[in-house]
Amino acid sequence: MRRLALATSLIVAAIALASTAVRDVQAAAVVVPPDPSALDAKQLVSNACSKCHGFNGVSTSPIFPNLAGQVPGYIETELRLFRQRGRSDPHARAFMWGIARALTDEQIKGVALYFSTQPAATGKGSSNPALADKGKLLYENGSPQRDIEACTVCHGHNGEGVNTQPRIAGQHRDYFVLEMVQFRSGLRENKVMQHVSEKLTDDEIAALVEYISTK
Amino acid sequence: MLVSIPAQAVPPFARQTGLACEACHTIPPELTSFGRRFKLNGYTLTTRPPLVSDTDEHKKNTVWLSDLPGLGVLLQSTYNHYDRAPPDSAVPGAKAQSENLEFPQQWSIIAGGAISDQVGGFLQMTYSQPGGTFGVDNTDIRYSDHTQNNDFVWGVLFNNNPGNQDVWNSVAAYPIPDFSNQSLWSAGGGIAGASLRTPFFQGLGTLVAGPTAYIWYKDSLYLGVSAYHAAKTGSGTSTLDSSNLSDGGGTLEGWAPYWRAAYERDWGYHSASIGVSGMYSKFTPSLIAGQTLDPGFVNRYLDISYDWQYQYNGQHNIFGFLGRYTHENAEYDPGLVPTYFSNSTDHLDEWNLTGEWYYNRHYGALVNFVRTTGTADILVNGGNGSPGHQYEVLEFDYLPWFNIRFIVQYNIYNVVKNNQNPFILLNATNPRASNNNSFDIGLWMDF
Repeated sequence: MRRLALATSLIVAAIALASTAVRDVQAAAVVVPPDPSALDAKQLVSNACSKCHGFNGVSTSPIFPNLAGQVPGYIETELRLFRQRGRSDPHARAFMWGIARALTDEQIKGVALYFSTQPAATGKGSSNPALADKGKLLYENGSPQRDIEACTVCHGHNGEGVNTQPRIAGQHRDYFVLEMVQFRSGLRENKVMQHVSEKLTDDEIAALVEYISTK
Repeated sequence: MLVSIPAQAVPPFARQTGLACEACHTIPPELTSFGRRFKLNGYTLTTRPPLVSDTDEHKKNTVWLSDLPGLGVLLQSTYNHYDRAPPDSAVPGAKAQSENLEFPQQWSIIAGGAISDQVGGFLQMTYSQPGGTFGVDNTDIRYSDHTQNNDFVWGVLFNNNPGNQDVWNSVAAYPIPDFSNQSLWSAGGGIAGASLRTPFFQGLGTLVAGPTAYIWYKDSLYLGVSAYHAAKTGSGTSTLDSSNLSDGGGTLEGWAPYWRAAYERDWGYHSASIGVSGMYSKFTPSLIAGQTLDPGFVNRYLDISYDWQYQYNGQHNIFGFLGRYTHENAEYDPGLVPTYFSNSTDHLDEWNLTGEWYYNRHYGALVNFVRTTGTADILVNGGNGSPGHQYEVLEFDYLPWFNIRFIVQYNIYNVVKNNQNPFILLNATNPRASNNNSFDIGLWMDF
């Protein structure tokens, strides 16, 4: 009887030990999901944004826009749009949907603040002053008879941006043209810009980019 | 030889970055300009915080482990049909098998992604038919850093396939078309030696290993230098074995330098590049199977390639034009001429041109033209001595999803001059190059 009790005790103890071990293994196996807000803005910029936009927000490839000195409200708005997949031009879908998917509001604000405080790039100048003058006229006055608003209303007299409307001064020429063409075709959704750009000819877009290059 | 599929689209990279495949690829494995930057930056791009990390007193990362294991699977299957059944190698007048179904033709396990915040890798193990072997395939571990303004990206890496560290698909180690089934009949039929002659350095994948240092300046100029040494691989083969290399086996002597320079310009949806690469190899051949190597005899191969690429990566349409020209100068050891080589010096010239078009990333067509000419050397090439061949590949693709591709391919042979044509090898009557024409249906997927 004593042997039986001893054996029973040993078995119970073994089961208890084993179950503890199992629980420990289970506890150890529980993977704590990473805290998506663990990276601060500068880490995010270093790990991700800088690969295309440059650490200081000045990109070398014209495919990717300069972000240095950009209006923070604009960066925030666009990052939120990317996060909720509300902006679906091709590069947004391919790049920014993935990059922005796990960003928190705090990270978005932090990244926006970071880039907005970097020294802005300046335009590379115009090689065609006559065309730049034509662009200046259009930029500052629009074309009332064709219902085209002046660019200054939203982007400022020197392309510096206003409120949440973006800075366009110092932007890459190729990027500027590509975005204008995408606004015009509706590929990049923005009611105001679509309204303006759908009336612009290729020559007028070329004139605008020539003028912006001087800023 | 296992290296037949390069990095392709790599699911672990997509999981790590959250980016769609088209961020890095036009159609896999062809890289976009962003995909090239991802690779040059050491595969480390991520917005996911590490699962495990630690820093030292200088706030420098000492451990940086992703929360994802970074594994992926790549599967390729094919059905081949040759226009004309070749003659049986043993029974005169009999026909051999003219078609085969390989499921899988190739099956890879891929591990890839960030190893630390500045170190990343791509490692591939591949099962391949018809050899039925499983072993080490392309392997690339790299460290990368950049100046604060990103003007200079620089890195060091270790890999096992000269040229595979490159980021343009116009080089031989990272080619388009990637679904390369344009082997002669013998690849499935077992006629020894019946393959097309290619420049020497293209046969070194997984048989060598070495370091590379590179810089990437202002997203435009790439300069890289490498050195490769003979290596044993995980597939169980050794460079001291006579069966490894196409030129009868042998081993690389010392370190073989490889260099690369390229210039890229991107604008809007367009990207264009030109480049030059080269490799100088000293090689001791094992001229008779099973014979002990004689280290006193050394052949020297100098391969120089010029390559170019244009990509239009638009909203609906993708166009690509890729090409390369390779010139090889082979100098044979005087002690081996004329017993084993007819000439003291042989040349080989290869043109490889590809044009491709894809619509909405679902439908596509591709044309590839390859022409090789060179010095006639009966002892090296057999037959009439010419290493020459010319063929075209016509390919149609359908991608119901971006990671699944159905392929229909027709391979047209215009010239197969040497005895590598199995119809010549087996003394068939009227052995025309077109007898090797083949029709293939392929399935490619990764996940």
